[in-house]
Amino acid sequence: MEKQKIGERERESKGMEIEAESRLVRLCIEAACESRESVEKWRKQRRTLNSMPSPLADALLRRLFLRRLLFPSLLEAFKLRVEVVDLKGENNVDAEWMAYLGAFCYLRSLNLADCHRINNSALWSLVGMTSLKEVDISRCAKVTDAGIRHLVSISTLQTLRISETGVTAVGIKLLSSLTNMFVLDLGGLPVTDTALSSLQALTKLEYLDLWGSNISNKGAPVLQKFPKLKFLGLAWTNVTILPNLSSLECLNLSNCTINSVLQGNGNKAHLTKLICSGATFTNEAEAFLYFDTCFLSFLDVSNSSLNGFYFLNHLKAMEYLDLSSSMIGDDSIEAVASIGAILRNLNLGKTRVTSAGVAILVGHVPKLENLSLSRTLVDDLAMSYIGMMPSLKLVDLNNTIINGFIHQDGAEPNLISSLTALHSLKGLESLNLECATIKDAAVDPLSSFQELRLLSLKSPSLTDISLYHLSSLPKIRNLGIRNAVLTDSGLFSFRPPATLEMLDLRGCWLLTEDAILSFRKRHPLIELRHEHVVSTSDQTAHHRLTPPRTFLRPPQVNQKREKLIVSQYFIDQRLKYTREELLALQFQSSSLGSPFDKSHAKPQMQSD
Amino acid sequence: MRKEDTVKLISAEGFEFVIHKEAAMVSQTIRNMLTSPGSFAETEHGEVTFPEISTTILEKICQYFYWSLQYANGKETEFPIEPELTLELMMAANYLHT
Repeated sequence: MEKQKIGERERESKGMEIEAESRLVRLCIEAACESRESVEKWRKQRRTLNSMPSPLADALLRRLFLRRLLFPSLLEAFKLRVEVVDLKGENNVDAEWMAYLGAFCYLRSLNLADCHRINNSALWSLVGMTSLKEVDISRCAKVTDAGIRHLVSISTLQTLRISETGVTAVGIKLLSSLTNMFVLDLGGLPVTDTALSSLQALTKLEYLDLWGSNISNKGAPVLQKFPKLKFLGLAWTNVTILPNLSSLECLNLSNCTINSVLQGNGNKAHLTKLICSGATFTNEAEAFLYFDTCFLSFLDVSNSSLNGFYFLNHLKAMEYLDLSSSMIGDDSIEAVASIGAILRNLNLGKTRVTSAGVAILVGHVPKLENLSLSRTLVDDLAMSYIGMMPSLKLVDLNNTIINGFIHQDGAEPNLISSLTALHSLKGLESLNLECATIKDAAVDPLSSFQELRLLSLKSPSLTDISLYHLSSLPKIRNLGIRNAVLTDSGLFSFRPPATLEMLDLRGCWLLTEDAILSFRKRHPLIELRHEHVVSTSDQTAHHRLTPPRTFLRPPQVNQKREKLIVSQYFIDQRLKYTREELLALQFQSSSLGSPFDKSHAKPQMQSD
Repeated sequence: MRKEDTVKLISAEGFEFVIHKEAAMVSQTIRNMLTSPGSFAETEHGEVTFPEISTTILEKICQYFYWSLQYANGKETEFPIEPELTLELMMAANYLHT
């Protein structure tokens, strides 16, 4: 799951840069940001720069930043055109950068989140800017109340994010003069009841995050003074009784003790999203009583103290339901099935749900795309039920007792592959089967999954045979075979599918450094994860610097597959040897491996 | 090449580039000009003038049109862009939706 999130983020950031641009524009931006020298070739073309449409200027600046070619004085060239500057996470950004940014005439949005050198005097450059609407200085810990004094001079501000800065209740009170404010993120700040009360002037406020603040039940009624409030974050606070807020659509009460939610007079709130992860409910029966549940489409009650799940029956608009680490068991699955009509995402990880519970869902979840049953007691019987959920795209079964076979009792005990049941899922893109009990023979049916883009396996019983089988997956992008007994020769004869972007071999202890190195040389476009790959940060930097893969189309792949060289009598070597002997063996294989490598470690890309 | 199959693109300085219609259609903007109903002068004469695009840039644009057709047909070569031209070419490409 984690890997996938990272992947998504990469795609997002790439998408942001080049969104809605034509291909030639993209090629031009790439060429302009090729190197320091290419920048020097165009940076003096002032008139052209000053007539450039803002979205192009924004995209060019962003690309320069991502290529690490941006420096303070270069910013000057953009001061008349750029409207959006995102420098999130850049440690070099300091007062000098800010001096140039302060001169940007049309700057509308400035993201300085996680720029740790930003302090109060750096923010001074922004004083009096007339077009600035959005500022994000989240986690700039050096910014204190004095910095806020600078920011309140920008009366156009509509969005301000100052979570986890050094601002105190005094500074927060100052914000009351920014009456155009729509979005205010004060997470992790010591917002007191009186400080919140002084913000009442911000009547346009639609989004207010107060996680981890000092707000109490005494201050909570003030929230009713924000007539347009749609999002409210009160996670990790001491608020237990939340008054009725009729405009509210999205509420985060994670890790709170919840007594009553939105109880009070007036119109019932049309809540669409409710996050109560890790919450303790003192009065379960009334928790969901006071707001209109028929609009609720997103509910996260993971890790919460909820015992009864009968309330689920009323949540007819549910699309995203997270019940992981909750008390739910097979007996309550009926309630989930009853609201399954438009459910797209269901997380039952770390619950007591078994295969019998999964069976109840069959036929009731026609739209379900994501299903997580990780760390549950489901076994191979569940596979046939999962195979009957037609819309599934992502299935997570990690750390279950699935082994890929159904034991049929009878006169002759029979082994039937359970994973073949998933063949009926035509849209299956992502499958996590990190179960220690999976063996090579179970993996075989997976090799014919046409749409699979992400597959994770993690089992000490897997060998080169699995790697060989999975090389025929036509669309695979991320492949993980962790903790397996892959050998150097197995990795050498592995012909990665042309679509492969990431190969995760962490914990494959038998692979030598030479084999890993040689694979990376032969397939420089594939990100390889293994303990022998020294620095992963190097890799991400490399990723950043290379143009998007779409331009680099993978080299022509010769479809002719060489026969896999695996000795037929291969068995897990660990069973035969003691630890000391194994360590000695590892050295031996590396010395054997080196001449083998030299012949293939040519710098140029081999078209294999 | 028959006249009906070609279009004439005219640069700011008055240079004329006669190219295949198919290539010019790589640009969404030119495609719209040439195919839109109604009697645009462009549609009738197969001629488009770009008072904002210099000859150097328009030449590069035409090269790109042909490169783009080849690329679509599976010929994977790089399209080289001199750094000096990037800014102007970018703006022209943006205008032409190509």
